[in-house]
Formats: sequence, C-alpha cells, structure tokens
Amino acid sequence: MSLYLIAEFREKERAAAAIRSLRAGGIAPADLDVFSEEPAEFPRGVLDRPSRMSLVAVTGAILFGTLATAFIWWTQHDYRLVTGGMPIFSLWATGVITFEMTMLGAIVSTFGWFLWESGLARRRDRSAPVPPIEPGSMCLRVRCRAADPNPTIEVLRHAGASDIQSRGEA
Amino acid sequence: MEHRWGMAIDLDRCTGCEACVVACHAENNLPVSTPDQAARGRTAHWIRIDRYFEGEFPDIKVRYMPVLCQQCDEAPCEPVCPTYATYHNPEGLNVQVYNRCVGTFYCANNCPYTVRYFNWFAPEWPEPLALQHNPDVAVRPAGVMEKCSFCIQRVKRAKQDAAAEQRALADGEVQPACVQSCPAGAMVFGDLNDPASRVSRLANEGRATRLLEELGTRPKVFYLQKG
Amino acid sequence: MVATAIAFVVGAAGLAAWGLQLHSGMGVTGLQRPVFWGIYIVDFVFWIGISHAGTLISAILRLTGASWRKPVTRAAEAITVFALMIGGMFPIIHLGRAWRFYWLLPYPNSRLLWPNFRSPLLWDLTAIVTYVTGSVIYLYLPLIPDVAQLGEHNTPWRQKLYRLLSLGWTGSDREWHALERAMKLMACIILAVAVSVHTVVAWDFAMAIAPMWHSTIFGPYFVTGAIFSGIAALVLVMAILRQVLHLQVYLTKHHFDRLAKLLLLMSLLWCYFTLAENLTVWYGNDPKEMAVFGARTRAHYAPYFWSMMFLNFVVPFVLLGIRRLRTIATAAVASVAVLIGMWLERFIIVVPTLANPRLPAPSGFYTPTWVEAAITAATFAAMAMLYMIFAKLFPIIAVWEFKPHPQEED
Repeated sequence: MSLYLIAEFREKERAAAAIRSLRAGGIAPADLDVFSEEPAEFPRGVLDRPSRMSLVAVTGAILFGTLATAFIWWTQHDYRLVTGGMPIFSLWATGVITFEMTMLGAIVSTFGWFLWESGLARRRDRSAPVPPIEPGSMCLRVRCRAADPNPTIEVLRHAGASDIQSRGEA
Repeated sequence: MEHRWGMAIDLDRCTGCEACVVACHAENNLPVSTPDQAARGRTAHWIRIDRYFEGEFPDIKVRYMPVLCQQCDEAPCEPVCPTYATYHNPEGLNVQVYNRCVGTFYCANNCPYTVRYFNWFAPEWPEPLALQHNPDVAVRPAGVMEKCSFCIQRVKRAKQDAAAEQRALADGEVQPACVQSCPAGAMVFGDLNDPASRVSRLANEGRATRLLEELGTRPKVFYLQKG
Repeated sequence: MVATAIAFVVGAAGLAAWGLQLHSGMGVTGLQRPVFWGIYIVDFVFWIGISHAGTLISAILRLTGASWRKPVTRAAEAITVFALMIGGMFPIIHLGRAWRFYWLLPYPNSRLLWPNFRSPLLWDLTAIVTYVTGSVIYLYLPLIPDVAQLGEHNTPWRQKLYRLLSLGWTGSDREWHALERAMKLMACIILAVAVSVHTVVAWDFAMAIAPMWHSTIFGPYFVTGAIFSGIAALVLVMAILRQVLHLQVYLTKHHFDRLAKLLLLMSLLWCYFTLAENLTVWYGNDPKEMAVFGARTRAHYAPYFWSMMFLNFVVPFVLLGIRRLRTIATAAVASVAVLIGMWLERFIIVVPTLANPRLPAPSGFYTPTWVEAAITAATFAAMAMLYMIFAKLFPIIAVWEFKPHPQEED
C-alpha cells in the first residue's frame, strides 16, 4: 500500500502548474493521474502520454486486410468453380472485401488498443484510490514514494489546491 | 475432347405449338400452376414460346420464339450467386445446384433473357400428374431457383451408356425433351466441339444468330431465321 | 405508453407476416417474374441509407471541429446503429430460404464450399458487418464516461448494467487521452467505411446488366441519397426528442437551422445526381433503357417518380430555402417529406428496371401484398422501440462533451 495524495483544483492552470512543479521535483508522470469529468486538455509538455494507437491501428488494418485477401485467394483456388468466364481470383473483384476487412482490422485494433492503453482492460492496482469528481473541478492524484510527503503537500498547496487529502501509508 | 453442348432452333420451322413446353414439364417435374398464380406471373416454363406480333391488320405476322436458358459461356447469372448455386461446368453447361440455392434472386435479376424461374410455393401436382414424375430429376422445394438444364439427366444417361458400351457418343444420341418432341424438327441439339455435328454446321450457317449477342454473354443457343 | 403499445402490435403483425412467409414460401409476397426484388430490397437500401445520419454528423463534423454537433452526436450515432441492425435484417427476410442465410458466411462446411466472394452480395455482407461493428464501437466509446457517471444513482439492475458497461472508467487522464485518440481514429475510419458501405449496396444494382441499373453513377448517387435521408431522419428524431424529452435548452433553433441548411444542400446534390442520370439515359435513347425510363416517368410508375421529385426537391427547397419559412416545425415536415421521397426513390430504382427486362415478352408488374407492408411497418416500429429503450437507458446528449459549454457556438 503506497501513500497517495489527492489534491483538488478548481482551475486547469493551477493543476498544470502543480504538475510542472512536481515533475521538476522528480516525480515521474507514471505516478501522476488527473481525474476529471471531461478531458483535461493541458498544454504540450505538461503531462503528455505517448500513444501508439495510430501505429497499432494501421498495423492491424494491413494485417487483417492481407489475411482476408489471402483467405479469399485460397478459398477460390481450393475449389475452382468457373462463374461467368471470370478469372478464378481477381484482385479488383476482391478489392472491396479487402478494403472492408482492412477497415475492420483498423476498427478492432483501435478499440482493443484503446482498452489496453486506457488501462481499462489491464489489471488494476485496486489499492489506488479513485477520487469522486465534483463538477467543475479536477483531482490530481500523486503517488508519493518519498518517505516524507510534506514537501509534496507543500508544492501542491503552493500551486493552489483547494483541498488535499492523503490515503494509505508510506 | 470435352463436349460443349449447344442447340440450334430453326425459327422458320417453329409453329408455336408448345409441344416442347409440355415435354419439358413432363421430363423435368415442373410444378403446375393455378389460374390465379398464372395471372400473377408465377408460372414456370423452362422453355417458353415468346410471341411477337408484327404489322397491322390484315397483314399481321406472328413470330414464335422458343426461349430457354441460353447456357451462356459468360453467363451474367453465375458470378453473382453468393453460394455458387450456379456455375459453369466443364461441358459448357450453366448448372443450377438446387441444394445450394438460398434464394437471393440475384441470378434471375441479372439474366437478360429472364429464363430463370423461382419456386414461390412448394410444388403441387393435381392427381394423377404426380404419378408421372421423372425419377431422374429432383423435385425442387419452395425458395429455390430453377431453369432449363439442357436435360442434363439425359446427357448423363447417354454418357454412361456410351461409356458402358465403350464407344463415343454419336451425334444426335442425346436429345433433351424439347428437341425430341418438336413435331416440326425445328430444334437440334449436339456437341459444338465436334465440327461434324449437325448443330455445329447449323451454327455456322448464314442464318444463325444469337439472342442479345451484343451483351457478350456468348449464348449457346443459335436461332436460325430468314433464309 | 400508447406509442409503445402501438409499436408492439405493429411489430407483432410484422413477425406474424414473416412467419407466414417462412412457412408458405415467397409466394405470399407480391413478387413475380420478372420482378424478383421488391419492397424488401427497397426497405434494405432505405434503412442502410438512414444509417448514414450518424456518420455524417458525428464523424465529419467531429473531424472538421464543428462544435455545434455536440448535443446531436449521440442521437445520430444511435440512429446509425439501430438503422443498420434493422436494415441488416432485410437481406435475410428477402431470401427464398431464409433459414439458410448463414451459408453466405465463410466457414468449413459439408458442402465443401466457400461462399462466392465475387458476388456483390458478399461484398454487402462484409461491408455491413464492418459498418455495424464500427458503428457500435463508435457509439459505445463516448458512452463510457457518461455510463460511468450513471453508475452512481440508479435502480440496482441498472447499476449493474452501467457498471458493467463503464468497464471501470475512473476519468483519469490516461483514459481520456486514449479515448480521444480512439475517437479521432474511429471518426476517420467510420467515414471511409460509411462511404464504402453505401457504394457497395449501390453496386448490388450497378454490377448487374439490367437496363438503368448498370450505371456508373450509382455509387456516388446512393451515398448522396443516403446522407440525404440520414439527415432527414436525424432532424425528425431530434425534433421528436426535443418535444418529448424537453431538450429545448440543448437542441436550439440554431442546431435545427444548421441541419436544415445541410438538408437543403443534400437535396440539391441529390437532385443534381438524379438529373445527370436521367438526362444521359434520355439523350442516349437506348431502347432497353428508354423502356425503363418511360415506365418511370410517363407510364405505370410515373405517379411515384413525380411524387418523389416533389417530396425530395420542391418541398425542401420551399420550406428550407426561404429563410422565413425555415423553422423547427417546417424542418420536421420537410424531413418527413424527404423520408417518404427517398423511400419512393429506392422503389423507383428497384422495380421499374425489373419490370421491363431486356426481352420484352416476360415484362411484368409488381403489387406488394399485406405481408410485405406488415414487415415494412414492423421495422419502423422496431426502430421506434429500440430508440425509445436507448433513450431511456442512456443520456441522449453526450454529457461529458457538452456539459461544460452548454451555449457554445463555433
């Protein structure tokens, strides 16, 4: 059980300032979480979360599209039935399905990766407290690894937190 | 060499008697319709006589054209069937596989000759027609598309007989029911791959044309007219 | 209460009709040679067209950053999902042997055959499966934060439902970031899919060689018509929601004004495509095509064709083009007109071509029976029911997108 500090901010700028100060003080972004009712849009550099979602989507799309096309090529050669004098396999005729399966691959990969990247599908740390969000404010949760939480509490108060609580033990 | 079955129909001889229609019904277990269903365009005649009237009274000419499945080499009905219920067999026949048909109707919509027929209801035959069924031909259930098969059961029977007797098929040995029954001798059936067969010679005559040729379906029924 | 009862009765009648059709055969419909596709296919294209509501409003406006879309997106996305589910039933309903519909799916089977992927019907299948999957996910993703909030205060079974659906959403910035990235990607993907879906549905007709079906313009024509009918459906649904759920504060005159302008734009675009198609056919004077054209514009189907032109073009032009006439009520009226008009448009596309085949001898007619009418009506009832249930269970306005800035204008 770690020590968590939960600070409530009424304004986005103060939360951003607090995060900057904490990071300058050496706290890793992995130990910081901001809870809000709407997406907390901080300016660049405050709390960026690098995302691989585009890469995953494109990879999944290409993979699925290729697999689907290969599958069709295989099935149409497996039992060669002539229809209307058309070739046994034609990339143009299959193109529509290739496109759709590519898109389906993108959709499924995006959704799957979203579940992973957001942390919704991962095993969570149940001990981490989730603060209830008041309308119009956001909560910053800091995992305090240092033995003494007071400097961190000072930084938060200095930045303008309206309420600071601590949960758990160091 | 593979057979390539084709047919020649001499329109100058056809009298429109519809013996071919009746023979086809008898041979292929075609369902019988009721007057009410016939009025709603639900009859199935794998071969039908299309009648066209030309001219004004008293100089009216009636033209008869027996229209059946043209067994197109580039059939538009084949690529659109999602379950391969219709495809082209190596002998050039456009085969209809009843038990694969789910009834999407796409083949019938794409056939420019409108020679495909659907089983709207389970087929019925008033007594004693049901006793006259041909055991070589399947009875189709409701929901399945059907059409002329060039009496493929007769083709198969003839090929089996010839193989059993270890000889080749003779020209004119295979005769679909319509060809066999035509009293005017207007219909000829045979192997287009055999240049000596009667149908090949007729197909190469100056009188030979094909229906809707400009569509590129490459039908194998040749209509002979206006000598 | 009354509405639910009516919907139930209509839906039950439709189910009974379908049962009769499955039992007795397709003969209970009005289909006949050569009109092998009738109202079921008209309904299919119609409902898939309506499903383009969500994609346009949600995806395109999201990508272009138009914030006036915010109170409207979820309503639109819900229309998409339900319209797709309903539209997707029709390829099954119209089958001669509907209980064998799964033969179109690729799975190892005793027939030792795979489906024929060359057939446009298989393209239909893949397109619609992709679009349904995409739409459901596209509806679900932004629903997660709202559902998480609902998990707090509700009846026990609802609490369980909302907790389950919220996947343990806590509102952390990691989750928000991932959600926003996913939404951006999904918007692009769903847009591409939507265009392709209705193009593929159009190609069911265009790939056939039937006269006036085999037209290169069909792909874009159908997509335009889909977006057109989709916006009409959206305007109508929103007008109803606004009244019934008292959302006057959120769905303002401004929103309807913008949507009405979009509807007018689509009406003009649709009219352009219709003109292009018909003019080229008429000028080209191909006999087979002229037979169909004559049937549509002068002979048997003329009443439907000209009603369609009136409902799709004249009514929106007058009601929405004249600024003084452009109100929420008239927008709703214009939408109803467009919906009827677009249904007629699908009818005009499907039936006259089939009734006038290339060989004139087997020409025919088509008169739908009560079976087809009942099933069609039942789909409208089903749509209403599904939508009502959705609106009861979930907030129809995306709370998290909208709440902080209720009066924001772009």
